[in-house]
Amino acid sequence: MATDIEKKETGSLPRYRPATDILEREDGFHLFLDMPGVAKEDLVIDLKENELVVGGKADHPPVEGERMIEVEFGGGEYYRAFTLSDAVDQEKIKASLVNGVLEIFMPKKERVLPKRIEIKAG
Amino acid sequence: MVIDFSFSPFPRQIDRLFEELTRPFVINQRRMLYPPLNISEDADNITVRAEIPGLAMDELELTLSNKSLVLKGERKVEQGKYFRQERPTGAFQRIVNLNVPVDREKVKATLVSGVLSVVLPKSEDVKPKKIAIDVAKG
Repeated sequence: MATDIEKKETGSLPRYRPATDILEREDGFHLFLDMPGVAKEDLVIDLKENELVVGGKADHPPVEGERMIEVEFGGGEYYRAFTLSDAVDQEKIKASLVNGVLEIFMPKKERVLPKRIEIKAG
Repeated sequence: MVIDFSFSPFPRQIDRLFEELTRPFVINQRRMLYPPLNISEDADNITVRAEIPGLAMDELELTLSNKSLVLKGERKVEQGKYFRQERPTGAFQRIVNLNVPVDREKVKATLVSGVLSVVLPKSEDVKPKKIAIDVAKG
């Protein structure tokens, strides 16, 4: 147990679970992950069967000649895995990274979308 | 029997426990501050960095008064049916007290991937200056 703690502390960057919102709208599911400091190149999204894995790295290396007065955040590795519902159309998943927020849109499969049934008058 | 603790991990863990018992109030208070800030200083500038994901530059309000920098904004609630909500929402404000006069005209703010950096150049008159001393020959 003690060695576990040490491993975490001596690792290059601490690992975080990004704060995530999961919402359902009519068109499908929307995931919002707060990943400040992560550039598009440092973001990896993997889809394996029913599991979506998001990983990213935010690095804030110390600037030469700067003296830190207050430190409330630091770099880290973001990592989080999500299990997808069967209702999600995996082929059409879209992701965008804007202002440090990763949005993943998972549309529902056609058959799950609500359909209105027309009634024909006889 | 003498128990030699010198190679055991326990004393350190006990220390850690006491540290945690005496500190949590402070930690909790710090966590309530949003957004988290890093403040640094070099010879020419004071730099304030903040983690504010999800906001565009025009949604942030930065005000520089005589002795402080005020950072204001609001994190919006997304539309839809929430299954899980972990991201903070609502209005926030943080005030950074500046103990050094800054050059108001040259303050620069940039926002890259949700990290705001505000560079406040120190006023010329507070920077240490080298004064040449002529040695009078007498």
